[in-house]
Amino acid sequence: MLKRIGVALAVITMVTFLVSVGCRKRSKETDEKGPDTASAKPLYKATGNEGSITGKVSYEGAAPELKKIDMSGDANCAAAGGDKTADDVVVTDGKLANVFVYLKGGVTDKNRFDTPSEPVVLDQQGCRYHPRVFGIQVNQTFKVTNSDKTTHNIHPSPKTNPEWNRMQAQGSPAIEEKFGRPETLIPVKCNQHPWMKANIGVLSHPFFAVTAKDGTYTIKDVPPGTYTLVFWHEVKGEQTQQVTVGNKETKTQDITYKAGATARATSMEIGPALILP
Amino acid sequence: MIDLKNEASAGLNIGLHRIAVLLSCATVVLLVAGALVTSNEAGDSVPDWPVSFGRWLISSNNFVANVRFEYSHRVIAGIVGLITLVLAGWAFATERRSWLRKLGLIAFAGVLAQAGIGGLRVLFPEYKALIAVLHALVAQSFFAIVVSIVVFTSRSWFEPRKTKPDSESWPLRRVASATVGAVLIQLVLGAGFRHQAFGIVPHIVGAAVVTILIVSMVVILMRRHGEDDYLARPGKLVFGLLFVQLCLGVAAYVARVTSAGDPQPLEPMISLTVAHLVVGALTLATTVVIALRCYQVLEAGADKAVDTINPGKLHSSARGAAV
Repeated sequence: MLKRIGVALAVITMVTFLVSVGCRKRSKETDEKGPDTASAKPLYKATGNEGSITGKVSYEGAAPELKKIDMSGDANCAAAGGDKTADDVVVTDGKLANVFVYLKGGVTDKNRFDTPSEPVVLDQQGCRYHPRVFGIQVNQTFKVTNSDKTTHNIHPSPKTNPEWNRMQAQGSPAIEEKFGRPETLIPVKCNQHPWMKANIGVLSHPFFAVTAKDGTYTIKDVPPGTYTLVFWHEVKGEQTQQVTVGNKETKTQDITYKAGATARATSMEIGPALILP
Repeated sequence: MIDLKNEASAGLNIGLHRIAVLLSCATVVLLVAGALVTSNEAGDSVPDWPVSFGRWLISSNNFVANVRFEYSHRVIAGIVGLITLVLAGWAFATERRSWLRKLGLIAFAGVLAQAGIGGLRVLFPEYKALIAVLHALVAQSFFAIVVSIVVFTSRSWFEPRKTKPDSESWPLRRVASATVGAVLIQLVLGAGFRHQAFGIVPHIVGAAVVTILIVSMVVILMRRHGEDDYLARPGKLVFGLLFVQLCLGVAAYVARVTSAGDPQPLEPMISLTVAHLVVGALTLATTVVIALRCYQVLEAGADKAVDTINPGKLHSSARGAAV
């Protein structure tokens, strides 16, 4: 019996060692690979014929009840001002906010685009992330600030970019990071305050927008061409439309999400295709 | 090969037994703390390891929200590690059975390995599911080892008992061993589901297999040895635990499904999940007790003569009763 237990422990130790080595190797490989292959593509230069895509995202059916967040675990969060209700599905007058809208295909696949020099800022205020959904370009600086009187940890869980988890105490300098590869979308979480959630769309181009409270969005400076317009909502899922933008044309592309449908990724998956409500 | 029957030279080691009981209780507390970490999604709330926010003792300002669960888990794990060290040392100094001394060292090695795996879980969040499942496997295995030390050092283990024949068809000792293995695997499948390493199907299939095995084991045990409290009592207990565990499993699952839209983990999902994990661990512990006692008092072959195990006399055929 002792021999068997000894062998089992040795196996566990070996597995742990291999996992550790594997983790380090993969982390190193991921870091070394750096950005995607976009650098081989020609840099897009504006021609002056660019158009835009605008529209509204509607919500059909009864708006979901806004659930209360329990912040009593951290007195600083409980005392902080601001909204204390869930903001995963925000519907105002039948319009859906926080839908990430972006282009796929066409020029976005064939060209590379300049990386903006200004950072995208994610602020922690009232123990909430501001904004909840946002886009960023590959290798653009992602700056995280903490305006709260408590400590947070910022933990994005990407699938193709390296995962990281860093703490940020009150008054700490901003955390600056970059994402080297396109990825839609990366969930961000504060594990200390589990209601704090955000989503980052990392794209190789600047053609994206997030719907405002009134459900509107505008993607500017779109090169003429045919694209797939993707609408992504963290609970309501993804919808697509084909869109062709002519020279200096402004296209209007509206879409509707229906109440009841959900694409919430939970641990409730029973099989590959079946997800419980 | 280990002789699970009482060795002539072995005596009751009350000190070691008390430490083992204390360690098993502390381990249950640690399992509760670990379950609270998972259920509250607090696993990454302290991003560094082995220190927490760069310190061994964190400030009260940091001990808020989910950090309470993660840091408490680390502190309780440290206490369990210390008790395990004391147990291993005590066994080494006072225990006459060499294999039990080794078991104490294995328990200490297990707790060290577990600490290392816990560290990997924190430092490599991209592999959290895989490492968390390994963490759960070692946790439950460690608990089983500690429970077996409690059994080996208990007063009832040293009481004179008659050996009994074990049937050649469906031998109880084999059924009990298989049940221990199945319960351990099922606990790992449950951890895999909680940590989203895999879906619910393997855990449901595992529940069916474990239910069949435990019911079969208890039916065989009660039919053949129902009059012997030494075997029947843990048999009845594991049957009750199985019933409670199945109810808790269904309730925890329903609570999890219905709370999928909640902004954060809330009651009753947290308590039901924690209770489900703890009752699972107690089920494992009880099956370990049954298996060890079966190997102690049952002999292979139905036709063998009934004999008595006595701490003062080493039974000649007992040497074959190694697990």
